[in-house]
This record gives sequence, structure tokens and C-alpha cells, in this order.
Amino acid sequence: MTKTMKILLASCATIALASAAAADTVRIGITQNNVGIDSYQTTYERAFIEAAEANPDVEVIVLDAGGDVARQISQMQDLIQQRVDAIIIWPTDGQALVPAVRNAHREGIPVVVTNSNIADAGMDFIAAFSGPNNIQQGIYSAEMMCDALGGEGQIVQITGMPGYTTAIERQKGFDDRLAELCPGVTQLDIQPGDWNRERAQRTMETFLTRFDQIDGVYAGDDNMGVGALNAAIAAGRAEGMVFIGATNFAVGYDAMARGEYWGSVYQSPVDDARAALQTALDVLAGEDVPKLNYFDTPKITQENMDQFDRPVF
Amino acid sequence: MTRLKAGGPAIAKQGILVAFIVFMIVFSLMSDRFLSADNMMSVFRQSAIIGVMALGVTIVVIGGNLDLSVGSMLSFATVLVVDLHDKIGPELAIPVMVLATLCLGAVNGFLIGVLRLNSLIVTLGMLSVIQGLVLIYSGGQNVDIADQRGTWFAIFGRGAVFGIATPIIIFGALALLFHVIMSMTAFGRRVYAVGGNPTASVFSGIPRSQVVFTTYLISALCVAIAAIILGSRVMGSQNTVGQGYELQVLAAVILGGTSLLGGAGSILKTVLGVLMLAFIQNGLILMGQPYYTQWLVTWVVIIVAVWLDVAAKRGRLFSPIA
Repeated sequence: MTKTMKILLASCATIALASAAAADTVRIGITQNNVGIDSYQTTYERAFIEAAEANPDVEVIVLDAGGDVARQISQMQDLIQQRVDAIIIWPTDGQALVPAVRNAHREGIPVVVTNSNIADAGMDFIAAFSGPNNIQQGIYSAEMMCDALGGEGQIVQITGMPGYTTAIERQKGFDDRLAELCPGVTQLDIQPGDWNRERAQRTMETFLTRFDQIDGVYAGDDNMGVGALNAAIAAGRAEGMVFIGATNFAVGYDAMARGEYWGSVYQSPVDDARAALQTALDVLAGEDVPKLNYFDTPKITQENMDQFDRPVF
Repeated sequence: MTRLKAGGPAIAKQGILVAFIVFMIVFSLMSDRFLSADNMMSVFRQSAIIGVMALGVTIVVIGGNLDLSVGSMLSFATVLVVDLHDKIGPELAIPVMVLATLCLGAVNGFLIGVLRLNSLIVTLGMLSVIQGLVLIYSGGQNVDIADQRGTWFAIFGRGAVFGIATPIIIFGALALLFHVIMSMTAFGRRVYAVGGNPTASVFSGIPRSQVVFTTYLISALCVAIAAIILGSRVMGSQNTVGQGYELQVLAAVILGGTSLLGGAGSILKTVLGVLMLAFIQNGLILMGQPYYTQWLVTWVVIIVAVWLDVAAKRGRLFSPIA
């Protein structure tokens, strides 16, 4: 018994010492969207924790809302109660989280939004946004498409889940840039693939029935792009068809290596996580941080793919 | 009020068939590609996954219960078979996955058949539990088959026999098999009896628990088969690949006229329901309609079809009791 007691006491003392040391560090709370639901978010969390552990001046409280808006709101309240120095939030819903973000702002706790932005109504209450520029990604995809087709052709587009900011922004970037840069390329139709490869495959099969000539396919992410590629291969029409995606997935990377997939946009969850932490630290250091901080998401094509690691998801 | 006279009782009982034919005529007038052989085959093939699952769920529903867990069960089975494909080879991955999926069906069957818990609550719970299991198993990573061109596993989703796509053959064969089981065997009659009047069935000496338990095993088996088709067709899987499929499956079953109260329904009409849903989605894209018209049209068609079905059964469009 006494031995156990000693160990317990020793542990308590260690914790007390650690807490004392922690007084000089900054405490940052993060509430994520839905870890484990996809490889991107899983890798993001791992990278975020690694980045925080590598920095001795940072202590992080890592939470996950499991995709549940109500749970994320109460996690925001918990973090406010704990008086953390800053909160990073990956909103489950850009609109519904505005009041929670406003509460943190009123309590004087700076909020950094990561990955997908809060609704416009919340922009006044956040210190900064850190994430990918989805409109820019759509623009990149349009440029690659125009390039690949030599400015002439007929294409179809498969978008993400209707209503999702990422899906809307990528489509907008793509549509606007394509019309401006490449008037010779016409879009035959735009239908959703719901971020689901099988669904995208079905949509593409119907496109193939409907249109005799399809020169290119733009998909809102590589997962769907590979679904469309599968459909075209099965119909014996993939030869010469240009496939362009976004958020380069491992399957897209591999298809690119085989020469079946033209290009995509490289978005690393590791860069995303590091950028979020760095933005929060910059805000806490009192630096003049711009409202919108985009980390780089470059074009990846068959030509330059050897400069990129194969995505982990 | 409005008595239905035209066609007589025989045609009136085939409300879904009539609706299906009318619908096909309307769509074929609007798009010349709609009735092309290529498009027919393509839609049949696309409907096989939802279709195979709907066969199992039809039997569960005839037995007086619901199965909402089939969506995440499909995610579970697909992730498992795709992941194991590269680890232990397809010849082992398939039986292991089928067994694991049957275990999930057995849990459903035990809780609902033996413990007599409410099927809505149990399978809604299992929907969430199984999705959790998938995420624990995969750690959130997508799974993919490395050698997509070389594996014989491709036969189930991408292959064809005598020019007919394998998914269509699997769906057709299972539909016939279950039709025979439900209409010509003692087990089939027991399922109808248990669903129609559980108390009376027990007094008639029917082992109710066993029958309900078996319906959930059948449902799980159907999901496992659907997962083989899906995994082979896509050659990979997201953790949430089956999300929302439970509602599409249930929609097809309802459209087929199977009563949610149990005791009435037909496997072949479920097949019609499945095809009708698939043709709605396909037809609207062929016509170049925006995606949200699918949401609207699908459910308007379901509600109208259910109404016509009920009206045909009672011989009136409106309820005689105000």
C-alpha cells in the first residue's frame, strides 16, 4: 500500500510541477469537425498533435465534435470555461456555429477557424481563418482542363455534396475561370457525386449514355474523379478523355502515375494542420495576421507529380 | 367518394406495375436515349446494389420489422472485403466478410427476434454502432485494392456473363430465389404469418423468434452480397460509402407496396420499386434536370404510388372514414 501511495504522491507532484511549468506556455483548444470519418481529418488530427508536441511552449486540448453541431457548441462553451488562450475550430456547420464563436469573442478569446470557413455573419468575431482556398483550387482545375484540351472541347462536371461550402466554392472557381479563360470549352452538364465514388460512377455512366462526345471530366475531388474514370474505362471510352480532380487522393495519384488521370490539386492535411496552429500562435504573439490565411495547394499533374509524396489518404 | 371502376380488381391490385409502365412511357417520350439497350443495361447494373439489399429488407419488413442498419452494414462489409482483399486474398476475404456481416445480422436478430425489442430502435442504434465499428477498424483511412486490373474479384462488379453484367445476374437470380422462398415454402408463409399477426402465429405453433432471427440473417447476407458487388465495382471504399443507402432501400421497398405494418408485400414488386427509383434518377439526369429535381420527384412518386396502392386496395381514392 505505502509503495502505491508513494507512486501516487510522486505522480501528483510531477503533475503539479508540470502545471506550474505550463503557466508560461500557451493553451490552445481545438474542436474538430469529424475525426475518423475520412482519412483527411484523421491525418489532420495526427499532424496537429505532432506539431503541438514539437513546440514546448504549446499545450493543446484536442476535441472532436463527431460531426454534431450541438456537441461542437458545447465544446466551444467548455473551452471558454477553461479559459484557454485561443480556440481553433473546424466548423461542423459554418452558420450554426456563429453564436458560439461570438461568445468566445465576447470573452476575449481569439478564435481561429480552420479548413472550412465560418459564415459571413461570423467573420467579425474571428481572429483569422486558415485553410485551403477552394475557389483558387477550382481556378487551378479550370486552367489544367483548358491546358489539357488545348482550349477546345466538351466536358462534364461532377460536384461534391450539394450545399457544402467546399463543393460550391470549387464549382464557382472552376465555372468562372473556365468561361473566362477557355470559351472554346463547353460544359455539357453539372451533377453531384456527393463525395461518393460509387455515386460519381453512376452519374458518369449516365453522362456516357447521354453524350456521344465527352472530352473531359472535372470532379470536385479525386475520389469521385476515379469513380468517373472507372465508368469511362468500363464503357471503353476513357482513351483520350481528360480527367481532372481536386484534393489529390492516393487513388488519383496512382491513376496519374498510370497515365489515366491528367491532374489534380495537391492539398495536404499535414500542411492544413500546421498552418492552423501557426496562425493561432501568430495571433497570440500579437502579430498583424490577415483575416484569410491560405496555405498553398499547388497543381499536380502527370508531369510534376514526382515532386510530391503519394497522399496518405 | 370516387369509386375506382376502370380495369376491374385484377388491374387495380397492380398499382405499382401500372405506375411503372406509365412512368417509363413518359420518360421515353422525353429522352430518346432512355429506352436504348445501353441505358437499360446501365440502369439495371446500377440498381443491383440497392436492389440486392432491398430484397433482404423486404423479407424483414414482411416479417413485421424494419432494418435501418443496412446502410452502415454495407459500409462495414465493403470496407472489410476491400481491405482484406490485399491482405489475405479475395478467396478468403469474401467468406470472412460474409461471416462477420452475418454476425451483425445475428445481433439484430437476437435483439429483435429473441429479446423482442423494437426493431426501429435496435436497427437505428445498430446503424450508428456499426458505423463506429467501421471507423475503429479502418482508423478513418480509405481502403483501396492495389491491383485493380489483375484481380479476379473484378468479376462481381465489372464482369459479364454471356454479355449480361454480373451484378444484373446476381440481382436477378437472388430475386427469383427469394420470390420462390417467400411464395412457395413453409418458411415464406411463416414470415407472412409472423408479420401479419404475431400473436396468432405463435398460437399456431410458429417459432416466431426463430423466423424473425432468420429474416435478419437473410438481410445481412444480402448486404454482404451487395458489398461484394460494390467493392468490386469501385475497387475501394470510403468509411461512409453506404451512408443514406438505408433510406433508398426502404424507399424502394415501400414503392414496391410492401406494408410497413408487416404481413404483406412481394419480392417481385420490390424489384419494380428498385428499378423505378433507379430509372427516375437516371431519367432526370438524361433530361438534363438539376439534381434537386431528383429529390422532389423521387418522393412525390413514392407518395403518389403508395396512395394509389392504398386506394386500389380499398377501392376508393379517399378514405371512407373522414
